[in-house]
Amino acid sequence: MGIFITARDLTKKYDELTAVNAISFDIREGECFGFLGPNGAGKTSTVKMIHCVSPMTSGHLTVNGLPAHIDNRAVKMMTGVIPQEITLDSDLTVYENLVVFASFFDIPRRDARARIGELLKFVELEAKRDSKIDQLSTGMKRRLLVARALLNHPRLLVADEPTTGLDPQARHLIWQRLRQLKSEGVTLILTTQYMEEAQQLCDRIVIMHQGKILTEGLPLELVESEIGREVIEIRIPKEEDERIVGQLAPFSCGHERVGDTLYFYCRDGHDVARKLAELDLPNIWTRPASLEDVFLKLTGRGLIE
Amino acid sequence: MNLSYRIYHVFVRNLVSYKRFVVPTFLVSLIEPLFYLITFGIGMGAYMGYFGGKPYLYFLVPGVLVSSVMMSSTFECLYGTFVKMVHERLYDSLIATPVSAEDAVAGDIVWGAFRGLVSGTLMMLVAVAMGILPVSIPSVLLLLVLMVFVGILFGSLAMIVTSISPSFDFFNYYTELVITPMLFFSGVFFPLDRFPAWMRSLSEFMPLTHAVKISRAVFSGEYHAKYIWNFLVIFALEVVAFAVGVRMMKKRLIK
Repeated sequence: MGIFITARDLTKKYDELTAVNAISFDIREGECFGFLGPNGAGKTSTVKMIHCVSPMTSGHLTVNGLPAHIDNRAVKMMTGVIPQEITLDSDLTVYENLVVFASFFDIPRRDARARIGELLKFVELEAKRDSKIDQLSTGMKRRLLVARALLNHPRLLVADEPTTGLDPQARHLIWQRLRQLKSEGVTLILTTQYMEEAQQLCDRIVIMHQGKILTEGLPLELVESEIGREVIEIRIPKEEDERIVGQLAPFSCGHERVGDTLYFYCRDGHDVARKLAELDLPNIWTRPASLEDVFLKLTGRGLIE
Repeated sequence: MNLSYRIYHVFVRNLVSYKRFVVPTFLVSLIEPLFYLITFGIGMGAYMGYFGGKPYLYFLVPGVLVSSVMMSSTFECLYGTFVKMVHERLYDSLIATPVSAEDAVAGDIVWGAFRGLVSGTLMMLVAVAMGILPVSIPSVLLLLVLMVFVGILFGSLAMIVTSISPSFDFFNYYTELVITPMLFFSGVFFPLDRFPAWMRSLSEFMPLTHAVKISRAVFSGEYHAKYIWNFLVIFALEVVAFAVGVRMMKKRLIK
């Protein structure tokens, strides 16, 4: 697979605030690349520079060999965007929204009509063709945003937190559609705070925090290397930490105390479990390690405002 | 400036959305000027006698025509654009397509001018129904052309205000401190000759004054070379306001 997007020392500053701080990455053609991070990590700022609606402050960024630039209509022509906010045209019906949007890409009327038929089917909104936007549920609005982003047969699809506020059914439908597009060869960029979403969709991810990329890799490998296979949570008073850590140290790869919980990360939970059984501690919970643990370990378990 | 034919697509988007609001907006753009025509024209006009050998309504109608264009295009590019920008976030999705920010803003200015043209045309029809006719068909056509220029001018000026406006309330400064005074100091309702010299000079700085002068001359067929000056004032201001308005909006839209 060729490299589709290249960023070197990409930086975005808003007045005093540095939202994106000299990050570099490559995105391959046809992969799903995920930007993970807490609020304000710089994910949206990064993707906005990629799809040419926000100028970079400094650095180097190309999309399909073209320099990403605010006036680069060629990049916009081959890009579809599922925005974080619902930016549908509420004065228009579902169908009109798509017709008008197709005109922005100079899609001829007849082609647009056929394409809209296909897409309404694809996102299961055929029955809502002539509904007004405020008659749609949030899930339907999000699906319409997916359809809208696909009008121009994009080679690059940018999905900025596409399932925020959705119920599980709607979320899974959107995931399925995104996977289907990827199988058709569309390059997908996803930003999300949902670890499950990243695990479901992404080939590779970066975890961002405060404008920097903390780590990059395959979701499962990141979990393995940063955390291990299993996580043991023990809810005990802090005073006991020293004793328990001493007992478990030979079996675990690391531990962390956050609030009322002592976390142990380990490659193989069996030895630890046996040891814990010996210690006969209350309030123990053993579970598989997840991307969420990586995320929290790297970005800190405290609240990020 | 990155302008393209895509202005047209933006215009059409507004047209598609407009069809749902045609009736209410027709009513709104008719009622205010109609109110002026009735109160000033018929009510007060009865005491005014003749202006240059014609009833007062002949003096009033050409002024009300251009001021209704001013009102419609101003309000469209203040409230209409603000709603699309801040409340519906329409511009955000527009600029992610090959439509540039400049196309989007220019499309809205042209749309504001169109709304002005619709209001002005409606007023003209009302005037015709009242028996107040422009002097000839060419004069009607020239009036329509004038309305387009006036519409783009006031749409662009309003766009400048919208580009720096934190909320709706801010628009009151502009409408109450600029637009309303302009309505009364531009010779729409009465000639400016009785004003002291400084007030007359001040009115020369109001673009509506120039539009009213042209409108009145065209309406009665008194074509004269001196009106070229009035047109140049409008045109020059329009070019500047358009460029500044588009640029300032772009600055607000693209961060």
